[in-house]
Amino acid sequence: MTAIVSVRDLMKRYGDIEAVRGISFDVREGEIFGLLGPNGAGKTTTVEILEGLRRADGGSAVVDGIDVSREPARAKERVGVQLQQSAFPENFTAKETVELFALCYGAQVDAGALLAAVDLADKAGQRQEKLSGGQRQRLSIATALVNRPRVLFLDEPTTGLDPQARRNLWELVRKIRADGTTVFLTTHYMDEAEVLCDRVAVMDHGRIVSMDAPQALIAGLIERGFRKPVIQQQANLEDVFLDLTGHGLRED
Amino acid sequence: MRQTALLTLMYLRAFTRDRTAMFFSLVVPLMLMLIFGSLNLGAFGKVSLALDDQAGNAASQQFVSALEKIDTMVVTRQTSETALARLRRTELDMLLVIPRDFAIAPTRAGQPVPTVTVYGNASRPQQVSVGQAIVNELITRLSYAVNQSAPVVNVEQKDVAGVRLRYVDFLVPGILGVNVMQLAIFSVAFALVVDKRRGVLRRIMATPLRPATFLASQVVTRLVLAALQVLVLIGVAIFLFDVRPVGGILPLLLVSLLGAVLFLTIGFALAGWAETENQVPAIAQLITLPQFFFSGVFFSKDAAPDLIRPITDVLPLTFLNDALREISVQGASMWDVRMQIVGLLVWTVVGFLLAVRFFRFDRF
Repeated sequence: MTAIVSVRDLMKRYGDIEAVRGISFDVREGEIFGLLGPNGAGKTTTVEILEGLRRADGGSAVVDGIDVSREPARAKERVGVQLQQSAFPENFTAKETVELFALCYGAQVDAGALLAAVDLADKAGQRQEKLSGGQRQRLSIATALVNRPRVLFLDEPTTGLDPQARRNLWELVRKIRADGTTVFLTTHYMDEAEVLCDRVAVMDHGRIVSMDAPQALIAGLIERGFRKPVIQQQANLEDVFLDLTGHGLRED
Repeated sequence: MRQTALLTLMYLRAFTRDRTAMFFSLVVPLMLMLIFGSLNLGAFGKVSLALDDQAGNAASQQFVSALEKIDTMVVTRQTSETALARLRRTELDMLLVIPRDFAIAPTRAGQPVPTVTVYGNASRPQQVSVGQAIVNELITRLSYAVNQSAPVVNVEQKDVAGVRLRYVDFLVPGILGVNVMQLAIFSVAFALVVDKRRGVLRRIMATPLRPATFLASQVVTRLVLAALQVLVLIGVAIFLFDVRPVGGILPLLLVSLLGAVLFLTIGFALAGWAETENQVPAIAQLITLPQFFFSGVFFSKDAAPDLIRPITDVLPLTFLNDALREISVQGASMWDVRMQIVGLLVWTVVGFLLAVRFFRFDRF
């Protein structure tokens, strides 16, 4: 498989802090790739360099054959982004928000169809600021798809969502990948990475400490003699929660 | 271009849904104009004159009815005691006491003439001097009539057409200027600081949209709003207050938009500098409040103390108000107010440099 994102010796510092200390990795075309790590590990900085929002201090980042630091504008045309803690202009409806971003790419879109794809068809005429957290994340993904991106970057897409909304978003991410878009996401939820990602890179203190398929990483840990000190349960509290409240998506 | 135009339309459509913004950009300016326009503040107005007719004879009646016919005077009859009290409270401009021995008759040599006493409100010297001149003129005319003589010199009075300065005529250009300033600085600073803090600008900058295109759409959106605001205010001034913009509406609009561009640059600089929207009002007030009072909005800029006149004379709003007022009141052309326009352009360059310095897309 070919690499659609290729990062070599990437470095970024803010004053005295070395946020990213020379990382290298490849993302294969068509996979769901997870960048994991605790807060402050350098995930968001890495993603923002790949999205063309920040300039790297060293190394290179190539997305779909384009060097992001040399041609950020061209690179931006090839990717879709969902930023952590971002918002949309106020007093725009969901449909107008999608149209606004299509205009930013100079793209023609069927906003209604895009909203339907993220399960927001019935919210098209509603002001985006009145949407629930999960709905706004889905709208955010719709705006990230207006330019038919080769790679979709999702920065902590499920932070702050309830279990139903998280599962709904996972389904959406799988559907987008099935349509041929490579997905690059960051998360600090390990269950999310385990069920969603084909491969993950674990980042800590600005370095990548391990990278492989989730099952391979787990197998490796067990091979090294690790045993969970708890008795295997057939279910956990989240299963109980979902059993009690159902999988149906909530309105908030 | 097309992208800018479409973005502008989208933002204008969103703006029409924003009740608060609509209120501040249209209702508040209209309220300001209606309140100050009807207050007739600072106008010369009329001379309010109290009469204490102690004579109450035919001669005094003749004198009083002559006074009452004069448009500039508002004549009321009051006793000296009440009138003096009201004078001290500055509710009156003048008190005229007609003595018991008042008469209009030919005088013989050596005979004393009646003395009319005039009390004037010292805090309204203009009104008092006009009132006094009217009283003197009236007495002179009565004297001529009685003495069967004529003045040695005749004065023919002619009005200069076009200059008809009521307070509201003075006020309207000031209201236009101050609202252009408020709209440009506050709307852009608030909206963009909120968008910056909430991450809206970052999200937009993650698209290939050129920052210049985005900024242009923001500027054009505000210019359209400013133009609408100016036209509504001029419309109200014309139809409600019978103001005649002598120099024409188009030059007023163009100069207003020039002022809007200037204040927009300051708004962008402020939006770039401020971290949160809470910092905006403080700095915006610091910038706008001195101009509110010293740039000739509600009263003449000459009211500023001499010490700070060199500063107040070159404030951005002073240039804008002077230009608008000369066009509106004196019928000046844009060429006539070129010095003010140059002043506005110089400030625009200063504001633009500040905006470039503080409004940095790579930091959002």
